[in-house]
Amino acid sequence: MANEFKLPELGENITTADIVKVLIKPGDKVEIDQAVVEIETDKANVEVPSEISGTVKEVMVKEGSKANVGDVIFTLEQDISDEKKPAEKKEPEAELKEPEKKTEKVEKVVKTEPVKPSAKESITTSTYEFKLPELGENITTAQITKVLVKKGEKVKKDDVLIEIETDKATVEVPSEVDGTVKEVKIKDGDTANVGEVIIIFDAPGIVIPEPKKEAPTQPKQQISEQARKELARTLKENEGTSEKKRISRADLSGKTAPAAPSVRRFAREIGIDIHQVSGTGPGGRISVDDVKAFSKNLNQKISQAASAGVPIGINKESLPDFSKYGEVEIKQMTNIRRKTAEHLSYAWSTIPHVTQFDKADITELEKLRKQYSKQVEAAGGKLTVTAILLKILASALKVFPQFNSSIDMDKKEIIYKKYYNIGIAVDTDRGLLVPVVRDVDKKNIIQLSVELSEISVKARDKKLTIEDMQGGNFSISNLGGIGGTYFTPIVNSPEVAILGVSRGSYEQVYKDGQFIPRMILPLSLSYDHRIIDGADAARFIRWVCKALENPFLLSLEG
Amino acid sequence: MSTKTQLAVIGGGPGGYVAAFVAADRGMQVTLIDRNANPGGVCLHIGCIPSKALLHVAKLIRETREAEHWGVTFGKPKIDLDKLREYKDSVVNKLTGGTAQLSKMRKINYLRGTAAFVNSSTVKVDLVEGGTEEINFEHAILATGSEPARIPGLPYESGKVWDSTGALALETIPEKLLVIGGGYIGLELGSVYSALGSKVSVVEMMPGILPGADRDMVRVLQKSLENSFEKILVSTKVISVTESGKKLKVKFEGEGISDNEQEFDRVLVSVGRKPVTKGLGLENTKVVVNEKGFVSVDDKCQTDDQSIYAIGDIVGGAMLAHKASAEGKVAVEAIAGHKVAFEPNAIPAVVFTDPELAWTGLSETEAKEKGINVEVTRFPWTAGSRAVTIDRTDGLTKLIVDPETNRVLGMGVVGAGAGELIAEGTLAVEMAALAEDVAKTIHPHPTLSETVMESAELALGSSPHLFRPKRK
Repeated sequence: MANEFKLPELGENITTADIVKVLIKPGDKVEIDQAVVEIETDKANVEVPSEISGTVKEVMVKEGSKANVGDVIFTLEQDISDEKKPAEKKEPEAELKEPEKKTEKVEKVVKTEPVKPSAKESITTSTYEFKLPELGENITTAQITKVLVKKGEKVKKDDVLIEIETDKATVEVPSEVDGTVKEVKIKDGDTANVGEVIIIFDAPGIVIPEPKKEAPTQPKQQISEQARKELARTLKENEGTSEKKRISRADLSGKTAPAAPSVRRFAREIGIDIHQVSGTGPGGRISVDDVKAFSKNLNQKISQAASAGVPIGINKESLPDFSKYGEVEIKQMTNIRRKTAEHLSYAWSTIPHVTQFDKADITELEKLRKQYSKQVEAAGGKLTVTAILLKILASALKVFPQFNSSIDMDKKEIIYKKYYNIGIAVDTDRGLLVPVVRDVDKKNIIQLSVELSEISVKARDKKLTIEDMQGGNFSISNLGGIGGTYFTPIVNSPEVAILGVSRGSYEQVYKDGQFIPRMILPLSLSYDHRIIDGADAARFIRWVCKALENPFLLSLEG
Repeated sequence: MSTKTQLAVIGGGPGGYVAAFVAADRGMQVTLIDRNANPGGVCLHIGCIPSKALLHVAKLIRETREAEHWGVTFGKPKIDLDKLREYKDSVVNKLTGGTAQLSKMRKINYLRGTAAFVNSSTVKVDLVEGGTEEINFEHAILATGSEPARIPGLPYESGKVWDSTGALALETIPEKLLVIGGGYIGLELGSVYSALGSKVSVVEMMPGILPGADRDMVRVLQKSLENSFEKILVSTKVISVTESGKKLKVKFEGEGISDNEQEFDRVLVSVGRKPVTKGLGLENTKVVVNEKGFVSVDDKCQTDDQSIYAIGDIVGGAMLAHKASAEGKVAVEAIAGHKVAFEPNAIPAVVFTDPELAWTGLSETEAKEKGINVEVTRFPWTAGSRAVTIDRTDGLTKLIVDPETNRVLGMGVVGAGAGELIAEGTLAVEMAALAEDVAKTIHPHPTLSETVMESAELALGSSPHLFRPKRK
């Protein structure tokens, strides 16, 4: 029986997922099909059901981390308890587990003892043995150049205790604890081995930073911290990266790109990474011609992409160091945010957008809406302007088929769709999602209202599947609930148009020789000018307005 | 007094002066700051150059002795230490005088003094002649190099404990000399004093001399050194050095030590070098010094402070003059706005002992450490005609080759003149030459360079002068 559960296939082209929530912990009993983690992929939040059952031994992922398809999510205990104990004894079992955990904790405490072996006396007043920390790769001993503390002296954490010299550098070694020096086991000029006890402290109530695992890295960091302090160093991150660079420099005599210095230089100057170029010479040696061919090929790709609309000739601007101006916090983009950013950049830069504005008088419609809202509510939906718009747009798309198309610039083709699926932009706490209502033309407004309610609940509860968000022909973005007049929505490529709906309000309208208050709904229609002409767009939005003003039009023309 | 300059170069060693010269040739207005009277740094004054002058003499002395085998006997050499010192100094003066002249002709503003940064665009120079000068720069190149690492607690004040500088001063020829540290500096200077008549012992903490170099090459050198040196103690530590009368009493600890306490006339400490970054006012800049004391730089030698570049020993890596010079050129080109990077495929290293030992590119040891699959071919000099004619068959030429493509990844040579031979290997590695390219390049006969060709032929299967069943 499998006793580990791996992240299953999630869909085409999906290889990683953000772990949003871990729903199990070690010791939990898991059944088949029980949701164990909640993940977020490029498109959707999904609860992943377990394919195995048993008691969780270890959970290998944590919230906020990423996992690849095939990564182990959790492992099971060798499940003998299942046979031993009948299922109804669940509770006693849980009780049993508690003490188990406790003993584990006790064990941990015991484990830390060796780090301070003389802590036997008591827990609150103990001695702490300070050992010569790891100093760097291949450094096993150090010369103690100066001992800066003496017996009886009080030291604080981070106070410099000794100065040592390795064959590389002189380093000040700081204390890891507060305490009083009890014994100094070394003197100036001594040689000490890494790990050797050099100073013993009386350290009341010390907390040993971390058990064994951390010990080697922690002193290292402290040393670098000390070095930084000493030299008024800047950000730690900087040091990290510079250290990386330095490592790569020491690494230079490994296998490198087979190219002469002049060729490497040429590549660098024209901005080509020599390691990406494959050489045609003997042994794969790269010539200037190979670099040129690579560059030419790359340019072609770029210009192909450009004909598909990717902007060229735009140099990337690097970001300033914002922390210079004030405090910042850096967070990883979620998959949804990243996908949204990529998708909208693509749409915005490939589609020549034009936005047409119009106003619809919905005074009469509002009356009807209120009149029938109860009926819709009884059916489990909510009669909203969006629901009505769905129906109207389905008809409009039939009247203006180019709004229900997509274009294929590579093949120079226009694809007209004979189905009417409309996406609704939904604002969720994780970002923008666009679930799609299918076959809008075949549903009545009550059905659409119900479906709309369901879909928004699903979106907010992170229950939308990828399929729920695919296959749209046209989108609606309704910001009316928030307010504002007009906005210019971005077409949700490969669709060719999107309708932005703002908040309706009473306006003075001159009618029949007098000003009368009418409920006016501001609408914005963004469209892809490659396929939709301005006049058609104006006609389309006018048609929508008229249909809102006079729903009879739906049955007449739609 | 405050002066403006386009480029301030701090440190006039082979990194700094080369950078200053190429910058001046590019039309930059350059200020070069160093505490010596002339540019040259440690390399020219108290490093590579004087030691090589002395090693040349040492080689000659050794050869006069070897001549006995060939039927030519010289008397015991008489050494006029003052004259030898004079010769060494003249070599130094000739070369540093040369750099001074080259600097002057390029109209470089040479300031004799020590510099410290006031901020990211200003250095204050304490002039040797007195007074200070503030230099306002657009860019600076930091090239302050390194200094001998010291073992604390030794009686330096006695004057009997030398570092490399002390040894090069040729104050006396000690009867018994102990060299602490079996690296290249200790072995080179030990060789000098051994030739001059000292009984030289070397003590090394690691299990072998020249840690890091391929063992098969070191063995050849070690055999020769064991003849000329009194003793080579490996896996051995010096516990203490104390002055006792005219001598130094040294206590050892280590495996195979019979005599735990021995007396020496002088002790040479050569346990490595450490970067010089103190007193430079780096805390007034954004320059980052890592925990090992080296200045952090990127691949174009730029520090974390945009206007300041750093090159040579202070940035770590191979602490070698030619690496510093190469970095200097990169830094200047970067400052001039070119897209450059310091990314050599090979940095040759030479130990100027007798025989010399040199390697470049990937070494066998490094390949093993990194798990890189390589093929190694070895051509022993006993099979080389030139080596036989000069009675120097104590040599080995090896190539490190990529088994898939036969590309030359590295080369190692131990033997007479290895330092000259290694240049070919470096070129081969940099050009991504295949073993076939080297093998099919006609080498002059009879020369030691033929051993390079023959080791390349070995990589192709067989070489004419070495019969060996084909191995894979």
